[in-house]
Amino acid sequence: MKRSHCFFWGILPAAVLIALFFITPAIWGVYTSLTNMALVGKAAKHLQFIGFQNYVRLFRDSAFFTSIINSMWYVVGGAIIGQFLLGLGLALFLEYTESNKIKGGNIVYGFVMLAWITPALVSGFEWGAMYDFYYGTLNNILKLFSLSKINWLGEVPMLSVIIANIWQGTAFTMLVLNSALKTIPFELYESAKIDGSSRWQSIRYITLPLIKNIAIVDLISITIATFGAFLMIMAITSGGPGMKTTTLSLYAYRSAFENYRIGYGCSISMILMIINLVFGLTYLKFLKKLS
Amino acid sequence: MQNKVRLMVIYFIFIIILIYFSLPSLWLFLSVFNVHASPFIEVPRKPTLINFIKIFKDYNFSTYLFNSIFVSSITMILVTLVASLAGYSLSRWDSKYKNTLIYSILLLYAIPISATMIPIYSLMRVLHLRNNYLGLILIYTAGQLPFLIWIIQQFFDTIPSDIEEAAWIDGGSYLRTLFSIVMPIAKPGVAVIAVLSFRAAWSESVLVIVLIDSQNLQTIPRAFFEAVKTMGGSAIEYQYEIVATMGLFFLIPLMIIFLIMNKYFVRGGMLGGAIK
Repeated sequence: MKRSHCFFWGILPAAVLIALFFITPAIWGVYTSLTNMALVGKAAKHLQFIGFQNYVRLFRDSAFFTSIINSMWYVVGGAIIGQFLLGLGLALFLEYTESNKIKGGNIVYGFVMLAWITPALVSGFEWGAMYDFYYGTLNNILKLFSLSKINWLGEVPMLSVIIANIWQGTAFTMLVLNSALKTIPFELYESAKIDGSSRWQSIRYITLPLIKNIAIVDLISITIATFGAFLMIMAITSGGPGMKTTTLSLYAYRSAFENYRIGYGCSISMILMIINLVFGLTYLKFLKKLS
Repeated sequence: MQNKVRLMVIYFIFIIILIYFSLPSLWLFLSVFNVHASPFIEVPRKPTLINFIKIFKDYNFSTYLFNSIFVSSITMILVTLVASLAGYSLSRWDSKYKNTLIYSILLLYAIPISATMIPIYSLMRVLHLRNNYLGLILIYTAGQLPFLIWIIQQFFDTIPSDIEEAAWIDGGSYLRTLFSIVMPIAKPGVAVIAVLSFRAAWSESVLVIVLIDSQNLQTIPRAFFEAVKTMGGSAIEYQYEIVATMGLFFLIPLMIIFLIMNKYFVRGGMLGGAIK
C-alpha cells in the first residue's frame, strides 16, 4: 500500500467521528430551526416545516435583543475589561515579583488557577453563597466595616455575575501573557534602563508592543469562552431577576429546555454559531500571524 | 526605606488578590467539614466527616462517581487513540491542503457547546441516543478531537521522521511503525492529550444535563446540577454542606490533574488552548 494511502486511513476515523457527531448536529440544527419542533403543546404532535418563521419571530422578540445586550455587557465587562486587564496586571506583577525574588507569588498563582479549574456549576454554587443577602460572606464582610448590605443578586445582578466570571476566567489570560512575557529578552529591559527609561515607560514601549499579537489571540479566546458560557450564570441567578442576567446562550437554553420550544431554540443556536464562526475566523487570522 | 514601602505595597496587593481568588474556594473546603454549613465562611467548630458518609449513603453518590469515571475513561481512551492516529498522519502528510485542513479543524473548535447543544439534543432524540452512554461518549469524543488533534500534531512535528523511514523501508507496517517507534517518543504529547480529554469529559456539564435524564446514568456534573437546583429554597433549608461535598468530589480529580499538568501550563505550551 502506498504511504499516502496510509495517511488517509489514519485521518479517516477522526474525520468520520467529527463529521457524524460534530458537523451533522450543526447541519441538523439548520433543519430543526426551520421547523416548529417542540416538546409540549400542539406542535409536539405535529412536526411541521415552517420555513423562516422562527427567525422572523426572533427578530420581533424583545427578549432576544435583551439577551444580546446582556451578552455584550457580560463579554465586555467580564472578559475584555475584567479578565484581560486583571490577567495582564497579574502576569506583569508575577513576573516582577519573580524576577525580584519576592516570595508569595506561587500562592497567588495557585488560587487563581484553582478558580479556573473549578467547574462552572461549582463556581456558580460558591458565588451564589458569597452573594447571599442575609448570610452571605460578602455582606458579612461589609457589616464588619459597618457598611450597609448590598442586595447583590437583586439590585446589581449583572455586576455580580461579571465579578464571578472574572474570578473564574482570569487565569487563562494570566497564563498566556505570562508565558509571552518570558519570551522577551532581558537585555531589552537592561538597555532601556541604561537609556534612562522608567519602569512604566519600558512596559509601555517594550513589553506591550511585543506581546500585542498574543494579546489579541488571547482576547478573542476569552471572548469566545465568555460568550458561550452560561452554566455559572444559571447556577447563580438562573438568568434572573426577570431577564436581567439572561445572556444569548442562556436564552437559547431557556427557550429549548425550559419553554420546550426546540425549533425556536435552534434558531438562536444558529445565530450563536454564526457569531462564533466570525470570532473563530478572526482568531485564525491572528493565530497565523503568530506562527 | 523606599524598599520597605515598596515591599509593603506589593504584599498589600498580594493580599487583596488572594482574598478575591481564595474566598469562594475556601468557603467550599470549610463547608464540607461542617454539620450545618451556611453561606458565611466559617471554620467548623466541630469538624466532621458526616457529609462524606451522607452523600454515599443517602444520595447514591457512588453510582455517580462510578459513572463519571467510566464515561471519562472511555472518552479518554477513544480520543487519545483517534487523535494520535490523525495527528500523526497529518504531521507526516505532505500536501498543499494540509494547512487548510488544520485551520478548518481549528475553526470547529471556536464553536461552543451552547451553539450545538440544542441541535445535538434534537438529533439524539430522533436517533434514540438520549440516556445512552454511547451517544454521550461519541459526542464528547467528536467535540474534543479538533483541538487535541492540533495539539498532538504539533508534538509529532517535533519528532524527526528519519527513524520511521528506516522502519518503513524494513517492511514495517504503518501501524507498527506508529505504535512501536513513534508513540514511545511522543509519550509526553500523548500523555497531555490523554489528561486533557479526561479533564474535559469529567467537567463537561451542559450535554450531560441535556442528554441524560435516567437516574442510574447520572454522572457527577448531572447530580451536582440536580443538587444545586433541588436543595435550594430559602437559605436555611439549603443543605450547603451536602452540595459542597458533592462539589468537592467534582473538583478534586481536576486539582490532581492540574498538579500533574502544571509544568505544561507554566511552560506556555498550552497557548491558544483551553478556550472552553
